[in-house]
Amino acid sequence: MSTGAQYVVAVYGVVLFGLLMYVLVLGLRTARLAREAELLARLAEREDEARRAPEPAATP
Amino acid sequence: MTDARPGRRLAATATATAALTALAVYGVFFVAPEDADQGIIQKIFYFHVAIAIGSLLAFLVACVYGIRYLRSRDERDDEVSSTAVGIGIGFAILVVITGSIWAKASWGTWWVWTDPRLVTFLIVLLLYAAYFVLRSSAEGERRMRYSAIYSIAAFASVPLSFYSVRVARSFVHPVVFTQNGANMPDSMLVWFAVSQLAVIGVFLTIMQVELLQRRADKALRRIKLRLEAAA
Repeated sequence: MSTGAQYVVAVYGVVLFGLLMYVLVLGLRTARLAREAELLARLAEREDEARRAPEPAATP
Repeated sequence: MTDARPGRRLAATATATAALTALAVYGVFFVAPEDADQGIIQKIFYFHVAIAIGSLLAFLVACVYGIRYLRSRDERDDEVSSTAVGIGIGFAILVVITGSIWAKASWGTWWVWTDPRLVTFLIVLLLYAAYFVLRSSAEGERRMRYSAIYSIAAFASVPLSFYSVRVARSFVHPVVFTQNGANMPDSMLVWFAVSQLAVIGVFLTIMQVELLQRRADKALRRIKLRLEAAA
């Protein structure tokens, strides 16, 4: 490969690397959103269960 | 019911962008003629200049939405403005790196401090990098107002960078687009146009992804607040 071609590959490699880094950041952010959504879903389910649980029977 | 249109819009934009990028890469490397003077190194031009114009367009969008925010006080305008600045900075960093590699290949040096185009573009990049410092220093409505004002003020540096190379007498950076039109044959210009459209597509795709993420983030925060209030 000629020196000129090496520079061209380096430039397009930098652009590709930049895009891949963005995808990585995007993936990390999406993972955080998924974790938060899961946590909130669990909290909501717990709330639901607590509401459905029978009242404790009154002792004589 | 939730609005599914943003998701569909994103899918359409991303598909069109992917197709345009593939077409641009094919055209640049397999169809466009090799430059008689620079040889294969000139292939850097297609994406380097397209990304540079893309970054300046992103700053223009940030400025327009900054003005819109100041008139409407709508949070969504602030979101678009700040997202556009972020993408513009990302593009500008790519421009500086790819430009440096091109300079090394073409002029034998990574950077020329006496060239107005290179220096003014770096100033534009640093000015916009300060945007996020300012943004993180304030909260609530003040944060959005300051950001909008800054995005409008910082845009003044964009024409400075654009015209510097045309006004200055001593420079090494070539001027491709002059008042007499593009300084290249049509067989190159057409592939540059495709590359430019691909870069604009990347900008629009990233913008939509970022706005969708912010929408999801805000929705989760709303649920969290409701659950905390109910507990």
